[in-house]
Amino acid sequence: MDKVYIRSRWFEDIPVGEFHVFGSHTFSELEIVEFGRKYAPQVFHTDPVAALDTPYRGLVASGWHLTAIWMKLMVSYMERFASGVRDGRRNGAGMGIENMVWHRPVRPGHTITFTYDIVEKPDRIVRDKWGIIRSRNEAFNQYNQLVMSFVIDILAERRPVADSQNSA
Amino acid sequence: MRYWQDLQPGETFTTSTLTVTQEDILEFAAEFDPQPYHLDSGAALDSIFGGLCASGWQVTALMMRLISDSLQANEVTILEPSGVSQLRWKMPVFAGDTLSARLKIKACRPSDQPAMGTMDCEVIVDNQAGKAVLESIITLVVPLRQDGLQQDGAQQDGVQEMGLSHG
Repeated sequence: MDKVYIRSRWFEDIPVGEFHVFGSHTFSELEIVEFGRKYAPQVFHTDPVAALDTPYRGLVASGWHLTAIWMKLMVSYMERFASGVRDGRRNGAGMGIENMVWHRPVRPGHTITFTYDIVEKPDRIVRDKWGIIRSRNEAFNQYNQLVMSFVIDILAERRPVADSQNSA
Repeated sequence: MRYWQDLQPGETFTTSTLTVTQEDILEFAAEFDPQPYHLDSGAALDSIFGGLCASGWQVTALMMRLISDSLQANEVTILEPSGVSQLRWKMPVFAGDTLSARLKIKACRPSDQPAMGTMDCEVIVDNQAGKAVLESIITLVVPLRQDGLQQDGAQQDGVQEMGLSHG
């Protein structure tokens, strides 16, 4: 029997309630500054000294840096499970997010751990062949404090009708 | 300088533009989102997007860049956004697309952060054809103008509290 890899599962194979701790990342001062210079040029993202005079009292990572790292760790996690599978990509494209909250700052040296929990599979078909996987995502710092949470809808391919008839 | 008290619902800001090059897309994807439709033109043709396109998280970061620069040019200082109540990626952003954003203040509310207020803003990112590629409602955090001793005291407390809880 073929193994079912996490990334090659059809929409129907992904269970509500599935929970993953999918990665950790330690934010360095250099990468916070590099991201800030490109995308978030306020001094509390770009200048460790000038940042001392802001309400944050020091350098903090952009919230969109956290989401970029979320993506990096998610891809890495999925690729591990999908290794060796051709056409192992039946999910991935994001439709949108809701209730994103950045709860507290992430500073240089903080190690952030990311989790997701599949909370719903809305009864909708998108462009004939995709279903929607809704997950709640959380990120915690090394003190186990919540730093970011959001809900995201990601498309997953539905099992073709012919395929399900064959396997039935 | 314009503070939270100086900003009203209904005010709009239109940002400058920026063009997303293939090099930009590949660089972001290699670091943060190494999937074929963001890295490989050939593979991207067969994907749901139909061509090499920017990571959705690159588009959100570029949105932040556009609105940060625009607000700064209009003398509005913002801190980190506190949240995004909703955000939709409406269309892919392809190499060569030129983006701009429109920000409209929907509501101004007090903040639980000392010496700050918040603004709920509708932010729409358009491509060069005037098509929305991203629509969102973002909560920005804006400093309050401080008049008088009592508010100065509040600002001091706020600084200490933020330093302690996140230090």
